[in-house]
Amino acid sequence: MPVAEEVKSSWADEVELEGGSLPPPTEVLDNSLKVITEYSYNEDDKKTKIVRTYKIEKRVVSKSIALRKTWKKFGESANDKPGPNPATTIVAEDVYMQYITSKEEDNKQEDEGLDKLKALGDKNVVKCRTCSGDHWTSKCPWKDTMLAGGKVPDDKKGPAVGGPSTGTETSKPGGSKYIPPSMREGAAKRTDNLSMARRDDATAIRITNLSESTTETDLEDLVKPFGPIQKLYLAKDKQAGYCKGFAYIHFKFRNDAAKAIAMLNGHGYDHLILTVDWSKPHPN
Amino acid sequence: MNWDLPSTGVVFKSVRKLNPVQFFNLNVLDLFVLITLGRGFFDKRVKPILLHSHTRPLTQLKFNKEGDLLFSSGKDISWHVWRTSNGEKLGSYDGHSGSVWCVDISADTTLAVSGSGDTTCKVWDTEKGTIIHNLTASTPVRTVNFKNDKHIITITTDATMGKPCEILTYDLRDENSLKDGIKFFRTDSQPLNSNNKVTAAIYVAYDDLYLTSHLNGEVTQWRAATGEKLRSSCVHTNQINSIQKSTDEDFIVTASKDTTAKLLDVWLLEVVKEYKTPQAVNSASLSSLEDHVLLGGGQDSHEVTTTDTRSGKFVCRFYHKIYESEIGRVKGHFGPVNTVAFHPDGRSFASGGEDGLIRYHYFDDSYFNFKFSY
Repeated sequence: MPVAEEVKSSWADEVELEGGSLPPPTEVLDNSLKVITEYSYNEDDKKTKIVRTYKIEKRVVSKSIALRKTWKKFGESANDKPGPNPATTIVAEDVYMQYITSKEEDNKQEDEGLDKLKALGDKNVVKCRTCSGDHWTSKCPWKDTMLAGGKVPDDKKGPAVGGPSTGTETSKPGGSKYIPPSMREGAAKRTDNLSMARRDDATAIRITNLSESTTETDLEDLVKPFGPIQKLYLAKDKQAGYCKGFAYIHFKFRNDAAKAIAMLNGHGYDHLILTVDWSKPHPN
Repeated sequence: MNWDLPSTGVVFKSVRKLNPVQFFNLNVLDLFVLITLGRGFFDKRVKPILLHSHTRPLTQLKFNKEGDLLFSSGKDISWHVWRTSNGEKLGSYDGHSGSVWCVDISADTTLAVSGSGDTTCKVWDTEKGTIIHNLTASTPVRTVNFKNDKHIITITTDATMGKPCEILTYDLRDENSLKDGIKFFRTDSQPLNSNNKVTAAIYVAYDDLYLTSHLNGEVTQWRAATGEKLRSSCVHTNQINSIQKSTDEDFIVTASKDTTAKLLDVWLLEVVKEYKTPQAVNSASLSSLEDHVLLGGGQDSHEVTTTDTRSGKFVCRFYHKIYESEIGRVKGHFGPVNTVAFHPDGRSFASGGEDGLIRYHYFDDSYFNFKFSY
């Protein structure tokens, strides 16, 4: 009965063993498991114990294979110990087989779907929210207008640059196309709020050329005499916390704001002369 | 012969050919140690084994008939043999002075033959790694094949240095033939187109036929006994890189640079099935157990440095043999997969890459439980 030689410790361990006074390696055979315990010094000159557990399998093989099991190693491997040489035989990382279901086919279908949508171009299923061209919005300004066939209506070319906020054409249902909340149906109240905000802007003034040491309390004291204040914003450096030299003040009433501008513009404050104006250029 | 037996109504449609292994007496108990290089080996999911001895790209992987040994050749001058049970390197065959392009193993695993770019073909004692015969050709040897009786070796040579592509046969029992080889296929009378060199060759149908594949995607069928050219069929539009046969030797699978692999009937050279991939196919192998085809490929090696490993698609792909669709893939190589081979029992496979590594995978339960849905 041909029996392959048993595995011994690797030559590297033996070389190390020669030097020190380490316990000899032990082998414990327990049914189908063989436990080999070895001792060696690691890089930091500390004793380490290496426990290797081997599984011993009995396999019934044909005579010819059994005979080949007794073949000695030769060539480059002639000096290798029995068993795999860690230099040439490496247990690799786990690699799982990826089973392919219909994932790729799905992708194809999506592409086909897009083509179909484009084929329905007249119904504007694929439509830019900015210029209603034959393409997805994606930061449009007439993205590939020329390529897409130049379907852009002239009246939209000018103001449309501002972004999607201008038109109402966006509210057309585009299947699963994303519509920002502000553009959805029932967002009318919101637009009211927007106009409110705009009205608020009408009561806002901007004060510039403030000194660095100005604080919010100083500013409040400065503007309080003119009337009730809705909101006060002082631009400050995020890290150092000193004033950046300008501020916005929202008054409750436009009259108060006008008074404040009249009084404070050119007013000397903390060794500097203030400039005060409407926060936005007034249409009038 | 008529297999129909009307009296019983039984029709024998095919006779199953037994694997030679099954003829041996299975009475020898062989005890050996399955070594582990880490606890992971005991896991239910067996980790792949990396076989690392080649320093240059792999050219061919071949199992012996019983599958206990794996032979690997690469573009470095030695080639190696490994035990498949534990990935242990058994030895190396040293003696060539050029890239080893091809290897073959005799049916009884006693002899091995290798063909090399050093224009020699060497016959080796598989057990000891010593050279028995050194056969010299005039140009690099591209393919070598044993006829099953292990006495006859057929080689093909490259058309370079002004010499034509030749198919030569050596009879190991005949001293005279070992000197220059016999032009077994009488290429004088039916010359091979010198621009259309042989890229792969194989004996099929139990040594009745010899098939060669060519640069232009053609497969030529020769009668093994006489060297007569029987038929030729242009099945691919580009170079065929490899041919492997099915266990019953009635079909071959060709792997071509034209990004497809095809299943061919060896007798009529008709394309039975076609497997399309996104990149050139370097090697294809048929499973003996499942209806699976394993394809290995990747883009040309000179393009590798310009693409990353994700887009390089360096994967082994499994296709369903019948339905021609991809069923799975296994990643791992850092370069194109040059050669793949199913173990003869279909329960493991090896792949060799341009990166010089051989990866040996045992299939886990998920592979055998996988049911193809169509």
